[in-house]
Amino acid sequence: MKTDLVRILDGNIFVLSDGSGDIEATPNVPTGYFSFDTRFLSLWRLTINGERVSTLAMDDPSYFEARFFLVPGAPTHYVDAKVSVIRERAVAGSFEERLTVLNHSGGPAEFTVRVDAGSDFSSVFMVRQERTPAGRLYQRVENGRLHLGYVREKFRLETVISTTEPAQVDEQGLTYHIRIEPHGQWTTMLHVRGLVLHPDGQDMRKHLTPPRQQRDTARLQHDLRQWLDKAPQLHCDWKPLERTYQRSLVDLAALRFSPLALPTEPLPAAGLPWNATLTGRDPILTSLQVLPFTPDMAVNTLRMLGIDQGSVLDDFRDEEPGKILREFRYGELTAFEENPTSPYFGAADSTPLYVILLDEYERWTGDAAVVREFEDEARAALHWIDEYGDIMGDGYVWYQRRNERTGLENQCWKESPTAISFRDGRLPSLPRATCELQGYAYDAKIRGARLAREFWHDPAYADRLEREAADLKERFNRDFWISDGEYYALALDGDGRQVDALSSNIGHLLWSGIVDESRAPKIAEHLLGPRLFSGWGVRTLAQGEGQYNPLGYHVGTVWPFDNAFIAWGLRRYGFHQEAGQIAEGIIDASRHFQGRLPEAFGGYDRELTRHPVQEPAANSPQALATAAPLLLIRTLLGLEPYGDDLVVTPALPERFGRIELLDIPGRWGRVDAIGSVTSQEANAADR
Amino acid sequence: MSEATRKFFEALERHGHERLLKKTNGTIRFDLERDHEVDHWFVEIRGGVVRVSQQNRAADTVIRSDDAFFDRMVRGEAKPHPAWLRNDITFKGQIRLVSLLERLFAPPPNARHPRIAARDRGRQG
Repeated sequence: MKTDLVRILDGNIFVLSDGSGDIEATPNVPTGYFSFDTRFLSLWRLTINGERVSTLAMDDPSYFEARFFLVPGAPTHYVDAKVSVIRERAVAGSFEERLTVLNHSGGPAEFTVRVDAGSDFSSVFMVRQERTPAGRLYQRVENGRLHLGYVREKFRLETVISTTEPAQVDEQGLTYHIRIEPHGQWTTMLHVRGLVLHPDGQDMRKHLTPPRQQRDTARLQHDLRQWLDKAPQLHCDWKPLERTYQRSLVDLAALRFSPLALPTEPLPAAGLPWNATLTGRDPILTSLQVLPFTPDMAVNTLRMLGIDQGSVLDDFRDEEPGKILREFRYGELTAFEENPTSPYFGAADSTPLYVILLDEYERWTGDAAVVREFEDEARAALHWIDEYGDIMGDGYVWYQRRNERTGLENQCWKESPTAISFRDGRLPSLPRATCELQGYAYDAKIRGARLAREFWHDPAYADRLEREAADLKERFNRDFWISDGEYYALALDGDGRQVDALSSNIGHLLWSGIVDESRAPKIAEHLLGPRLFSGWGVRTLAQGEGQYNPLGYHVGTVWPFDNAFIAWGLRRYGFHQEAGQIAEGIIDASRHFQGRLPEAFGGYDRELTRHPVQEPAANSPQALATAAPLLLIRTLLGLEPYGDDLVVTPALPERFGRIELLDIPGRWGRVDAIGSVTSQEANAADR
Repeated sequence: MSEATRKFFEALERHGHERLLKKTNGTIRFDLERDHEVDHWFVEIRGGVVRVSQQNRAADTVIRSDDAFFDRMVRGEAKPHPAWLRNDITFKGQIRLVSLLERLFAPPPNARHPRIAARDRGRQG
């Protein structure tokens, strides 16, 4: 993924272009206008009198808008600016572009403005590959509009391009022959819609109720202002924290999208460009991170994932009753079942995490009605852990795909094929039970027990869940502990062996509470030790392991969200200083990305590269990383609901000075939390 | 209409509640095409209780399919969501009920419990 591409987005609809606004997609430069997991424009090229344009300046006033100031001709040391072009675009449900041509000369001038347009209708999965489409592409001019289309059996996609100023429209684009008065200007508006056609020729979304809200830039502006006004205000002596907080709030707003089934209840898309869709673990882990700031995201996530909760055994989709999905897609490959994303259920973590989110949501908001509303779903999820997650019948959560053609081999958050390995780099046999899955299962049972006792009036079930949790913790501390390394194994494999690589997964165990108190100091020592801690954050896999690669997606890079959960876990066990060190490292790294933390960055030693190196294929913005600064703030301030109160126990590294977080929403109404290095004492004031 | 279709709707009325969530509410009309005729099945779900009739009434969701394809979905051989994306069936109304359908139709034939699948795979080496 080239990082210098210009990105604008509206949830799961987005435009990626080069720095002049042009789109000329190739497998190496996967630009385009994307919607419905499909590229609806792969060519969008502007020329003036046959000349390409060069960029003088570009800015993006909001996440859904970009403005390019252009001149015709190649960039040279001298730009003869007798004519210039302003290209303003927005994506708000569809793609709009306003072209303004300015004549700077003293005489009238004639220009030929040309926009070449085309689409390959590639699935977002395939944009980095050469591929012959299975269906037929067509182009048609009708009523002054250009229709680009794709048809395969009864499946039909269409891109419709219209213009406000008259143009000569042909099957490859639009041409304007214009004359502009001295120092005058000319403007046209281009509108590009990506349609998925019902057999009656209308967009299939038109037939759905309740109808989707019309989206336009005015509405998005209004929504964004409201969103920012509702969020708690942050003040910090160390400015990078304020900057990344503001950036995160805006990016979270940008990533919100409303699934077709719930048109008024937005939740975060996982990330741009590869995961602009509904997934399971990303919105759950994102909602957990942002609960103290914007709790609505959690309830929308619980509702959406509840609707699509697994109900049958299905090998193709790796589905079982009660399971929470991994990923849901809408494009051609899903339609023709070339991949299983309709939805795909190949994730062993999303189901226990669902229960954890439901409990944590209630602890913050006091919204008991939601706990009762989702009782069936939560019970089905808890049942899944024992009945379908426990593949080996030994009380652990395991995974092994049944879809061996297009399913995922690794079904924990570290999904890449080599992510789970022995110290010497060998890959373990199947099924696999990674350690953090056991932590999530333990936590889900503890939290499920609280819900059963307090809200579902089922004390017997609560007792049973607590017994099972205690038993799981005891066995886990026996079976996963690697005595010669003094840490927990990354996994157990199908032959019962400990998969002995040292990994960041042990940090999640602290968050879950499954670690024996006596062992926690060793875990903290490993996490902050030289093999795992890069200086910026905790690496996914320790330096020195066989599979370690500082740029490997899950085998050496540093993931901000992973670190936020680790810091949270460290605080849970009382390691305030260590949690602060991680928070400081990650926030410090954000300075190198203008406040926008990428999904992952390189695991190089901080001393070696001086600045964090962005992982080349990373999503950005990515919901999990976007939310990480918020969880770090919660961790630094030690925010924890206790009964109907918010407890604040700040523990800040020197550099932060003072942090004020004002108007924290929750069951207490709105409350302020203030922490400073000098006093380091609780300071919560009711409003 | 096919025998399989009739059996499906009869079973739905008797056993549908077993697989539905208690809070599920809504009406679905199935318009099943066959030889230029359309059979209507009206399904009403209230608090997880299912009632079936053959009335042609307005519903929250209308699903249109030819009866042969519908039978494939009933048997678990075809899934509603990808079928909708392909236009093999069409939907008007509330899309959340597509997911609900997944709970009503049979599981795919030969689907395995993960424990059985892992054991079989272990035997193959």
